[in-house]
Amino acid sequence: MRLTGKVAIISGGSRGMGAFEAELFVKEGAKVVVGDVREDEGRALAEKIGDDAVFVRLDVTSEEDWEAAVKEAVDRYGKLDILVNNAGVSARGTIEETTVEDWDRVMDINAKGVFLGTKAAIPEMRKAGGGSIINISSQLGLVGMSESSPQYQASKGAVRIFTKSAAVQYAAEGIRVNSVHPGPIVTPMTEARRSDAAVQQVMVSRIPLGRYGESEDVAYGVLYLASDESSFVTGSELVIDGGWTAQ
Amino acid sequence: MAERPFRLEGKVAIVTGAGSSGEGVGNGKAASILFAREGAKVLLVDFQEDRARETLQLIQEEGGVASTLQGDMTKIEDCQRMADTAMERYGRVDILDNNVGISQRGTVVEVSEEDWDKVMTVNLKTIMLASKVTIPHMIASGGGGAIINIASIAGLRAHSSTPYSASKAGVIGLTFSMAADHAADNIRVNVIAPGLVYTPMVAPRMNDDLRQYRTDAAPLKTEGTAWDVGYAALFLASEEARWITGICLPVDAGLTSVHPGTFTPMNQQSRY
Repeated sequence: MRLTGKVAIISGGSRGMGAFEAELFVKEGAKVVVGDVREDEGRALAEKIGDDAVFVRLDVTSEEDWEAAVKEAVDRYGKLDILVNNAGVSARGTIEETTVEDWDRVMDINAKGVFLGTKAAIPEMRKAGGGSIINISSQLGLVGMSESSPQYQASKGAVRIFTKSAAVQYAAEGIRVNSVHPGPIVTPMTEARRSDAAVQQVMVSRIPLGRYGESEDVAYGVLYLASDESSFVTGSELVIDGGWTAQ
Repeated sequence: MAERPFRLEGKVAIVTGAGSSGEGVGNGKAASILFAREGAKVLLVDFQEDRARETLQLIQEEGGVASTLQGDMTKIEDCQRMADTAMERYGRVDILDNNVGISQRGTVVEVSEEDWDKVMTVNLKTIMLASKVTIPHMIASGGGGAIINIASIAGLRAHSSTPYSASKAGVIGLTFSMAADHAADNIRVNVIAPGLVYTPMVAPRMNDDLRQYRTDAAPLKTEGTAWDVGYAALFLASEEARWITGICLPVDAGLTSVHPGTFTPMNQQSRY
């Protein structure tokens, strides 16, 4: 197994990509703290997985919630090796349509949440002798798309370069930090966009491999970065987008 | 708990440059061993077949399935024979791992036209040729395919090896275009950009000081090995990466994540 003996926290772990990652990590031998604001779904998932997973309520914009999540990992499973900053929200609109409140909400969850999670995790990873942080950015953190929104794209761009900053600052302590850049994935977050057949057709036409991604397509990339197989990889951008940005 | 399925179960892989140019483990050897360990049947191709035989022996000791083939990847007839041989021996082709490569240092003023042509041929044209003849077999095999090209961070940054850098930048560009060209046939094409890994290819110009210097150059301050590149190739070759195409994955201990100034003192060292 590829994560034997490792302890992970996955934010936004109740559903979608995060939930798939939680199950995959446990299959590969890890213990997982599932953090999310969606309590019912998160508890149900942790229960389904069993003793190797536990749910904690985690609002990623709350420093206290992050401290509690890290404490849960350490109290229950003894340490912390892996953090997947997966929680995020989507948004659509032009710059003129976007209010300051819209901007702040998305930046808080998608960008500040990654900062707070990383900040909370590093001391315990240091104690563990190293660790791996995987930040879920987006292909829209790399290229512009008119149907997205300024705050979503800016937040995902922030995650991209925050990752490199963290990678460089903590590499000497054996803490690796990489970003993952999914294209459009079939998840609850993209449901609204996918429900519009015309929009979906346009999106698929942009993807060389000809289909939306699935949660597992991203989860296996996250697993690679979480495992020791990638022990020489830090600061890298793992793009999982069916070829969209290669064009 | 149920036994974990192999990650390349039922796959057939061709690895070019499957031998190592000296003692130890190079990128092609590491990838070959990992592919076989995960259930693939591997055709080990090398210009010097005795080198591929060393890789074969290691695979056979682990109970894996592989065979060797002599081939000069700069010659299209050898590439064609390689692709045909994989079909004849194993019945299909799913994976092509392009490892063939040589170093070439110097500036454009210093490099001879002959040396320039050689590095561009060995590092870049071989990938075009091997892919050109293998892709039709992948399509005929009916399951899509995965091509993994080995470039270098020298293809992304200045590296005191201008001809080498140009060839590797070519590999990266070729990868993106091939990915777009062949996605409709579900053939995924990705490139790995290794950083300062210690392999038999670089060993002849290394000493202990220089190895330490290279190790310390990147943020992680660990010495990379061919296994690091091999595991990345394994991931990209497997169905785990089935929605990944046209990406460049640095495996470089963070070297290209640091501001270039960090890199400059090294870059200025001619010995590097």
